[in-house]
Amino acid sequence: MTLDILYVAAVGIGYTGFLFLVAWYARKRANQGRSLVSNPYVYSLSIAVYCTSWTFYGSVGKAATSGIDFLLIYLGPSLTAFSWFYILRRIIRISKDNNVSSIADFISLRYGNSQLLGSLVTLIAVLGVMPYIALQIKAVVTSFTLISGVTHRTILLPGADAAVSVPTGLTLALILSIFGVIFGARRLPSAERHEGLIAAVAFESIIKLVSLVGVGIFVTWFMFDGFGDILHQFQTRFPELFERLFTLHQEQDTGFIPSSTMLLLSMGAIILLPRQFHVLVVENADLKHIGKAMWLFPTYLFLINLFIMPIALAGILYYGGNTGADYYVISLPLSAGNSSIALLAFLGGLSAAAGMVMIESVAISTMLLNNLFMPIIVRITPKQWFPVLLINLKRLAIFMVVFLGYFYYRTVGDTFMLVNMGLISFLAAIQFLPALLGGLYWQRGNKAGAITGMLLGFLVWFYTLLLPSFFTADPDSTIIQQGLFGQSLLKPTALFGLTGMDMWSHALFWSMLFNIGAYLVCSLILPQGEVEKEQVRRFIGKFEVERRKEKIEAKRLSKPVTIPQFIALMGKFIGPGEAQKAMAGYLKERHLESQTLVPEFELPAMKRFVERTLAGSVGAAAAGAIMDSYLSDMGSRMESVYDIFSTVRASLDQSREALYVRLKASEIINRTLDLQTIMDELLQLLLKEFKLDAALIQIRSSSDEPLTVQSYQGTDRRPITPEHWHQENDPYIRMAMIDQETHFVNDIKNLEDIIAMPKTAAEGFVSFAHIPIFREGEESLGVLSVYSRTIVGLFTEEFIGLLSSLTGQLAQAARIVSEMQAKDRERKEKEQAQLTNARVKRDMEIAEQIQLSLLPDKPPELFGVELAGRCWPAAHVGGDYYDFFKRDDHTIDLLIADVSGHSVGAALIMAEVRTLLRAHAGNAASPSGILNTLNSMLYEDLTRAELFITMFYARYSTATGRLSYANAGHNKPLLHRFGQQSCQELDAEGMILGIKPSMVFEECAINLKMGDTLLFYTDGIPEAASTHGDFLGIDAVCQHLGDQSSLPADALADSFHDLVNRYTSSSTPQDDISLVVMKIVA
Amino acid sequence: MLRHHVKQLLRRLNLQESWVVFFVLGNVMLNFPFLKIFNQPTTIFGFPLMYLYFTIGWAVSIGVIYLFVTSRETDPFEQQHDDQEQL
Repeated sequence: MTLDILYVAAVGIGYTGFLFLVAWYARKRANQGRSLVSNPYVYSLSIAVYCTSWTFYGSVGKAATSGIDFLLIYLGPSLTAFSWFYILRRIIRISKDNNVSSIADFISLRYGNSQLLGSLVTLIAVLGVMPYIALQIKAVVTSFTLISGVTHRTILLPGADAAVSVPTGLTLALILSIFGVIFGARRLPSAERHEGLIAAVAFESIIKLVSLVGVGIFVTWFMFDGFGDILHQFQTRFPELFERLFTLHQEQDTGFIPSSTMLLLSMGAIILLPRQFHVLVVENADLKHIGKAMWLFPTYLFLINLFIMPIALAGILYYGGNTGADYYVISLPLSAGNSSIALLAFLGGLSAAAGMVMIESVAISTMLLNNLFMPIIVRITPKQWFPVLLINLKRLAIFMVVFLGYFYYRTVGDTFMLVNMGLISFLAAIQFLPALLGGLYWQRGNKAGAITGMLLGFLVWFYTLLLPSFFTADPDSTIIQQGLFGQSLLKPTALFGLTGMDMWSHALFWSMLFNIGAYLVCSLILPQGEVEKEQVRRFIGKFEVERRKEKIEAKRLSKPVTIPQFIALMGKFIGPGEAQKAMAGYLKERHLESQTLVPEFELPAMKRFVERTLAGSVGAAAAGAIMDSYLSDMGSRMESVYDIFSTVRASLDQSREALYVRLKASEIINRTLDLQTIMDELLQLLLKEFKLDAALIQIRSSSDEPLTVQSYQGTDRRPITPEHWHQENDPYIRMAMIDQETHFVNDIKNLEDIIAMPKTAAEGFVSFAHIPIFREGEESLGVLSVYSRTIVGLFTEEFIGLLSSLTGQLAQAARIVSEMQAKDRERKEKEQAQLTNARVKRDMEIAEQIQLSLLPDKPPELFGVELAGRCWPAAHVGGDYYDFFKRDDHTIDLLIADVSGHSVGAALIMAEVRTLLRAHAGNAASPSGILNTLNSMLYEDLTRAELFITMFYARYSTATGRLSYANAGHNKPLLHRFGQQSCQELDAEGMILGIKPSMVFEECAINLKMGDTLLFYTDGIPEAASTHGDFLGIDAVCQHLGDQSSLPADALADSFHDLVNRYTSSSTPQDDISLVVMKIVA
Repeated sequence: MLRHHVKQLLRRLNLQESWVVFFVLGNVMLNFPFLKIFNQPTTIFGFPLMYLYFTIGWAVSIGVIYLFVTSRETDPFEQQHDDQEQL
């Protein structure tokens, strides 16, 4: 039976529409940031694009004709999954880092961005994939023919008068191309992931699986009675065939070579076919997905192959032979009359073919654009319309790829089995294997080897496989029968007389022999280029390099490129908007400001970034060429950084020489504390070790003073005048002082006009640097300036680092020196202070001695009176004073006084009082008269010194026993009458001396009797404070006087000292204590 | 208990070397001397020997990958450690 053609077409179109819906939804989800595709399950399903209509139809055909060895095509990839953890992961990591967009990109990247290699890979891929696409077209066209019954390739459209001839193959090729354009070439950047495309392909993979398993179940359990039944029937009906299909038959004496060939081819194909590389590597969203895919993908293969053998055997049983076995999947349900299962099978086959063609055409068109078209395009100056041109070229490339397949199908399609067409492609793809694996694991592998090997392998493949495939319809042609030029040694299917092998093994052997051989030989004999060596480090040493965070650039741009220039360049290929966005992202990642100038050392990294971004759209090789031509147009180029030590460095680590200079510098710094010597010697060291011609150090002594040149070393020194060329550098020096960054110019020619330095340039200097001298977190002390006349590009990141570390050491040294000086000064000041202090102390001690000597050393002798005077000064000198004057044998004057304060001034006033009193002692004036005189004489001195005096003056006559006295504000003396308990205070009106120029003092008198004791004292006694702060008080003094009145005068006087000490619980007096005891004894 | 031991063993074996060993072993088993052993027209329960060998061997190999991959995934530390080892 057949189905109506319109019905089948409608289902096909409906299904296609649904695919678009799936793709659209996936893209929408991706734009929302909730990717539908970014998970290991979809990843595994997308890898299953490996299963094309070859699997869907061809496997059954192969199983029915040659038997079980069809499984090897799927066992190989399943086995390869074991290696994904190391090989695939590595490939993906490198690809993501470099924006690799195809296998051609990947291989050409490894071999120094070789355009030739990229073109070669592309050529092989385009020609190699031709039979494979033809296979898909053939499968779909045949299945369509089967299901709709249209055999003549013309369709009778309803309503049309005559049959309109529509070649189904051509229609299909057109539809598939449009599919590819819509899904895969919507936007230019091809290193990006195509979420919609992958969603559609994953969905198709599900349909394939469901469909084939569905057909399998239908055939096994509905047409027959299980697999056991099929096997049993088959064994009885075709015992010979049974044996042949279930063993690896050894035609001629090839042994197991065909099976090994099949295994190897499929193992290579799973990663090397352009579309497999695309889904595995380019469309990989996360390295973690590999883990699950490693068992999910083999499981998929296992399931899809489960019913191949039952369907094949059932077909042979049903039709009685294996003709048309390629289409059992669709013809069996049709013959059994189940149209829905047949339609399901048709959709499965369509899915398998469409998925393959979509991915393959996207992958190959990317390669074509990047590796064949771009090398020509980059020779043209970039124009604004480039992005539009590029995307349309890519679309054109998709059509080209599909129609190449169609052409092959039209030429040889009818004569070949599906599987055999596929294997031709497998053999083409495996030509990439040596270059790819060698590139990943062999350091020596080089461009020449890769190109030669691949080219030879490709030629052998072309001659031994592709060429004969064109002649299968005409097996008697001379070239097949007799070889090229009639040389039997050059017979394509038996090259160099090698016979007895199947054509695959034969082609595999010869192509791999030439491929691997040439790769090894050329790699060993020829050297690697400069760019290549760097790529080898990235591919093989990749993960070691990554661990070193700070990588020192080995290249510099001879003329700096600005950010807007980079953006403009990118914009010409990927559109201005995309370019802005990409650059903004990059600057943010590197913590750079877009407004400011890019630091010179950032430029190579930025150049690499731009190249990588371009590579995402135009491929690595083209991106490299674009960048090179752009730079050379600008008059700039990448050059190796100047090696400051002019020695070959074995590693990127700090060199031995840098270490030597640091060591020397710290020797200089530690040898002396003289900053001038340190600076001079440091500069001499720099001039000697590096190609510098002048070096200066400017230092300021404090932050508000200007910089002054402290040290100047160089070939032609001359005084620093305002006209000196060095003054031109002032803006740089000031900047360096403020921002504490090194400011340098590597080529004075690159300076813009605003900061031109004509004098410096006229002196012949070509490069210079100003390095601030500062300690971390402190203000700059000064600037080190170095100039070179010979080397452009002298100031590498490494050299600046070295100089900065030297200025750091210098700042440290300067700090140490200034600290030492400050300490020295402080110590001297301290010593001086101590010295002064000691002198004052000694003077004070002398003053004390003198003052004590001014007091009467012992009281005068007078009959009937016992006298005792005491003074315990609190400080060295004090204002307390007492004295006795013996007027005659019966009369004695005694006084006690207190000059306010304990200063030297008080002591001097006291001395003055004493002098005055002694001078006037002979006067017969009364006590009040004496006080009066004293006041008028002392008033001026006291006022000037802001001091005053309290004084009690008394006169006692033993003849009369009468004591007359006057008081100038002093503590009232205490009188203890013999035999009484209480005391009497002697009081007289009078003000303190030194308050007024003239004063009147009251004079009182009292008669004393034998046994009376009189105590004159200063405020030190009653005001002695206990530890709680309470004063001793008059009452306690009076009590003590009464209690101890029986003691002799001297002992009584001393007892008051004990009293005060006891009360204050201290042996040193808080205040001066002076007292005079007078005892009447007769 | 047994499950635990199996898991531990798997983790210990989960090295780059193990994957290489499996890869090489798979290649050996799908090539000349091994294939020759099974290349007999014998049937077991009606199923041809070679067919059983491929099908069961394949299923087992998928099982092995599954066990190893999942044992690796359950231990984040191990995974990290292996990441470094792999690369």
